[in-house]
Amino acid sequence: MVKKRTIWPYLLVAPAVLIIVCVVFIPVLNAIVMSFQSYDLRRPKDIAFIGLGNYQAIFKDSLFWGALWRTVVWVVCGVGFQFLFGFILALLLNRSFTGRGIVRAVSMIPWVTPGVLIGLMWRWIYDGNFGVLNDLLMRFHLVSAKIPFLSQVSTAFPSVIVTIIWQGIPFFALMILAALQGVSTEMYEAADIDGASPAQKLFFITIPSIKNTIFVTALLRVIWVANSVDVIFNMTEGGPAYSTQTLSVYIFNKGNALNLGYASAMAILLALVLLVVAIPYLKMSFGKEE
Amino acid sequence: MKKRKLARKAAATVMAAAMAMTALAGCSSGNGQSNSGGATTAADTAAATTAAAADTGSAATAGEVTIKFRYWADNTDYSQLMQDIITKFNAENGKGITVVGEETPWDGGAYSENLFNVKMGGGDIDCATWKLTSTPLFVNNDLLADLTPMIDTWADKNDIDDNIYGIMKEAGGSDQIYVMPWNIQVLYVYYRPSIFAQAGIEVPKTYEEFLTAIEKCTMDTDGDGKTDVYGFGMRGAKGGQEPWGSFIYGRGGSFEDMTTAGAVQGMQDFIDIYTKGYVPPTATSDGFNEIIANFQSGLTAMTIHHTGSSANMVTALGDDVSAFPFPAGTGQWTSMGDTETVIFESCKNKEAAFEWVSYLATGEGQKLWCEGTGNVPVSKTLQASEFFQNNRFMKASIEGQSYAGILPILDTTTEWISTLWPNTVSQALTGSITASQCMQTLQDGLYQ
Repeated sequence: MVKKRTIWPYLLVAPAVLIIVCVVFIPVLNAIVMSFQSYDLRRPKDIAFIGLGNYQAIFKDSLFWGALWRTVVWVVCGVGFQFLFGFILALLLNRSFTGRGIVRAVSMIPWVTPGVLIGLMWRWIYDGNFGVLNDLLMRFHLVSAKIPFLSQVSTAFPSVIVTIIWQGIPFFALMILAALQGVSTEMYEAADIDGASPAQKLFFITIPSIKNTIFVTALLRVIWVANSVDVIFNMTEGGPAYSTQTLSVYIFNKGNALNLGYASAMAILLALVLLVVAIPYLKMSFGKEE
Repeated sequence: MKKRKLARKAAATVMAAAMAMTALAGCSSGNGQSNSGGATTAADTAAATTAAAADTGSAATAGEVTIKFRYWADNTDYSQLMQDIITKFNAENGKGITVVGEETPWDGGAYSENLFNVKMGGGDIDCATWKLTSTPLFVNNDLLADLTPMIDTWADKNDIDDNIYGIMKEAGGSDQIYVMPWNIQVLYVYYRPSIFAQAGIEVPKTYEEFLTAIEKCTMDTDGDGKTDVYGFGMRGAKGGQEPWGSFIYGRGGSFEDMTTAGAVQGMQDFIDIYTKGYVPPTATSDGFNEIIANFQSGLTAMTIHHTGSSANMVTALGDDVSAFPFPAGTGQWTSMGDTETVIFESCKNKEAAFEWVSYLATGEGQKLWCEGTGNVPVSKTLQASEFFQNNRFMKASIEGQSYAGILPILDTTTEWISTLWPNTVSQALTGSITASQCMQTLQDGLYQ
């Protein structure tokens, strides 16, 4: 009788565990195994175990270090500004005004638009000859000559970062807005009685009340943005001159070239970097609370 | 209480069973590939997944046969044209063969990658349109059928030049023919006669005159101090290696060794026309759509492409567009774009599939496709017809055929074209590396 009770819950969760194992764990294990092999489908007869060969080659690869640095910039700037503008948007959407429902819905558009479409759309916005951005800049005499945003090294990366910021603002706004609903209004009333300024209420009531949401949302976005390929790939494919090639784009390009061993090794390294960031972050964010 | 507990357990069991069935259905979609432990090579996997379906060659067509054919089309007109050709073949072949066309986009070369993924996963495509650069990858993974026995007994074999069969064999890396010729596209230079007249120049006859023409056609037409027309529409994105090759050969370089003085000088010419402002500043990221749009809008005076775009050019520009073959310098070369067809080893009725691909190569399909798209036919009979001899773009193509060539077809070629070439050349154009460093990197990347 006791044995049946113990086994029953495990049997019920078994299908879900099976799916997760098949879809997540087996491919990850596969990637780890491939990272120790010269797994190049262009030369299938040369596939063999090479130990740390791929990793040694990666550490000597200047493109890898360049891509890693650009990934850091991509994440810090991308997520940082997404948070800043998303927070401001959430505070605005938390106020009552006519048409707030419509504004809330419309502000979600960047988030619900597929990444491929965003990449193509912004590519044409930035186009150096016929793009609408150049047209507006010229009409308002803000520039004297059209800017080839995606064609020159100095402007290509900032341009794609602006695009990813645009895409991610609604997610932060949505999560923070939801968290703001849970902040007690009595605290604001008490603060008003004590003569607190709006800035004091923001920093001493609002932000502390929603900080867990901010931490979790930021961590999720760091991981998603670090791993994202679609926007950059559809805008620049990592060019010109590798100036927009983040590590995930480099991994994608290597995988596309069918050098799966090398691509897998880089993917493992990216995962380790994200773990190194995520674990201390979580400890720091939630450790104080405990 | 007991009844409620029982009902909850039953509901939970049903939900768990539904999830399990969904998971099993999703996992059993026919994908036979397994990489666990790394012991299975890709070739073994491909052979294992296709062994059950492979027809090892003796079956003749019997009864109704369906052939699945994958292709890409450059625009909706060509898409409709291919569908019409398929319909015509199905109606007239008299052998019970039904071709089912499946169109997927070219997508800058992703067509070939997707095709590889499908075939490695055991997908049931029988034949497909093709680019030679993909041949080593598919041959190495034993995915293509050897067409040599069928071509050797084919009545129209001699209607295609031996040189073309030679190129097909070279791509496969052996004496077998894995690729069926279909049509070729010889790159030439489009130009705007009105802009040439405005610049006061004639059609260049030499490589040096061509560089001068680029400079002279770069003009400020309204006197505001800004360039309104650029002499040349440079293609710096993926695919640009084909027109770029003409510059390298123009100075006596070649793809065999891209580090020679001539090759480096050709690269320097390419850099110079960018840094001197003779090409649009967007050149580093301009692809096919951009160079065509720039040319048709009058932003550029010349650009390089092939007859595949000629119909659209005439629609947009009428008589104010013409073409000349890329002129000779120390050397002379132009890219021979290629489109072929292949039959996959997994095809159950290769003879039926060969009926279809040969219809495209020399039959009515060749005539309809080449006349409809402006591509150069591989059929010598068709090349000699009035339609092709009287078309100014076809004439430029045929004139360039004698010195047209292809990039070395190696297993590194695809990555070289997709990633290494565009980024390395961008680095050179923007001054991060010199012409010499650029050519060394390209040489090392292609011949690694």
